[in-house]
Amino acid sequence: MNPSLKLFLILFLSLELTFTNKLWVNIIVITVCLVLLIHYHFRWQQFCWLIFIPLFPAIAIFTTIVLFSPGHSLFYGLVLFSRLYMYVSLGTIFTFTTNPLALARSLEQNCHLPSKYAYGVLAALNLIPKMKQAVTTIYIAGQMRGVTLHWWSPTLYFKAILVALQWSDQLAQAMESHGFVEGQARTRTINIPITARDWVITSTLIILIQIIVIALP
Amino acid sequence: MEKILFNNLSFAFDKQPILENINAEFKSGKIHLLTGISGSGKSTLLKLIAGLLPKHGGKITTGTVSISTNGRIGMLFQDPLMQFALDTPRHELEFTLENCQVPSAEIDSRVKNALQFGKVEALANQLISTLSGGQQQRVALSVVMAMQPSILLLDEPFANVDEENRQLILAQLLKINQENHTTIIITDHDLHGYQKLNPLVWQLKNRQISTLSASQRRKVLQDNRSSIKTSLPPATSLSIINFTKLSLKQGDKTLLTPASLALLKNKATLLTGPNGIGKSTLLKAIAKLVKYQGTITYNNQNIQKISPRKYYQQLGLIFQHANDQFLNVTVGEELNLSRKNGHNPYFTSRQIQQALAELDLAGREEQVIYSLSGGQKKKLQILLMLMMGQEVLLFDEPFTGLDQDSLKTVLKLITASRKIYPQTLLIISHQLNGLDEFIDYHLEMNHQQLKYCGGNS
Repeated sequence: MNPSLKLFLILFLSLELTFTNKLWVNIIVITVCLVLLIHYHFRWQQFCWLIFIPLFPAIAIFTTIVLFSPGHSLFYGLVLFSRLYMYVSLGTIFTFTTNPLALARSLEQNCHLPSKYAYGVLAALNLIPKMKQAVTTIYIAGQMRGVTLHWWSPTLYFKAILVALQWSDQLAQAMESHGFVEGQARTRTINIPITARDWVITSTLIILIQIIVIALP
Repeated sequence: MEKILFNNLSFAFDKQPILENINAEFKSGKIHLLTGISGSGKSTLLKLIAGLLPKHGGKITTGTVSISTNGRIGMLFQDPLMQFALDTPRHELEFTLENCQVPSAEIDSRVKNALQFGKVEALANQLISTLSGGQQQRVALSVVMAMQPSILLLDEPFANVDEENRQLILAQLLKINQENHTTIIITDHDLHGYQKLNPLVWQLKNRQISTLSASQRRKVLQDNRSSIKTSLPPATSLSIINFTKLSLKQGDKTLLTPASLALLKNKATLLTGPNGIGKSTLLKAIAKLVKYQGTITYNNQNIQKISPRKYYQQLGLIFQHANDQFLNVTVGEELNLSRKNGHNPYFTSRQIQQALAELDLAGREEQVIYSLSGGQKKKLQILLMLMMGQEVLLFDEPFTGLDQDSLKTVLKLITASRKIYPQTLLIISHQLNGLDEFIDYHLEMNHQQLKYCGGNS
């Protein structure tokens, strides 16, 4: 499916369901996402993370509503509990099935997003391994001066930001030296079209959700 | 008509002059080789031609640089990892060709040709962050070639490239120069293998540029190593760091085949060798910053068994990039930190004040470190680490960007401190002038070997 249209669909669903109070929609969306994830060979460790990470905030919201809200409503507790999982499932299915480069290309071609944003973000993502190394250097520089830095030390963040600023400049130079000029037309290695099939899938899903929202409790 | 012309150009970074009154015309269609020590302004000159400076920092204080060309200018940077925006070589090539507005139908074949040029076909779909420095450099070269530039700027292109690939790429460069009349400007420390390109040789020295005559050129291309006189270490002497069958790798490239060697206690040892041969990696191995095979011991204890906190109280590393060393914002805060945690008895309050005055850093306590010039940062960095008083100090290119006077002052300071508080020093330096008196022993790293040199040999 076209990455931009997929992104639009996910955002649309999340936004719409924010303004509903239906339990079944959430459960159906979560189930569909899980089935799709299994289909795309999501690993079981990843499933564990998917369940574990939202668990504490979800329980916190659930108990707040059920125990401390005026109505003590079990139904609204469950709605909010499942809603959190719905957001996480939608986000997971999107990131797991979308290649960042394909998304950047699609946003550039289909949504006419300025290429400096599309590729700027992509370049930043690709810097993550180098960032890890830089953080190690900061820790050791600290220890050599008799300072033990912890993950909460402001110095660590101050230094990391300085490094990032320096890299942003180097990255700009690198992109420029590879022919990138802001606002200049670019050609395409791969055309990423929005096909009739993409439109059909998107509109069908949206209509389906409307029916479910209206029909189910 | 193509033209690269410097007309009385001076260029400064943060008020520190890098180039002064440069007059030069780089003839089109020729191969130019630009030589000079680290920090002499070679990269700056290339970036001025590429149009990256003064756009991304620095200032032209006098004169002009005029570049006219019908084609593109391709530039290869020194730091290999810092020149890719995308994740794999193929994607980076596609990104570049799209930028150059190559028609979609041609992109595939241009990518293929470029990968062949750099001999990196097999790496096309690997993550760039997993490649070795040399492989990254070859990928970067492929990307630049894909742009089919009419001017090609290569900043230390072979720093991490092994001998075989170096020869291959040099031959390729000669070919494109002959076939497409591409103007090529290369900077390099290591000048072997360039004879067959018959380059015009330029030298940057004391911020000035000069072109070498045919006889000077022959001399430079043959031998560029300043020599330094030292003796071999005596067989029976007290060692502090010992390597046992130490070997080093970077990606799949071997930097050091198993070597067993000792560093002598309270002596200053110089470590030299061509760029990219693994000198910094060796220092990082001793400082436990990279993995290695074999054993390194410190006072007869395996360094892997010493806790980091304890180890770094005894061993300090003076980073190649001064910014990596600093933890605070102002000069005063940094000095206070070293005063508080340091234990070098030489640095009493009076000595610190005197050292600051001599290093021309006095009265700057309130100044933000990052607004100091490159040379001032270097001096402050060395002072801060001397005050810490570790038993062993590893220096990674500590003298780059220091002028002759500053260098003398720094060496004098280290010598005075070591008289009161002896320390073991291991120093990587391309800059050998003035080190004769200072250095006790000389280690050379080359061809994956590490050995002491000097004496009568």
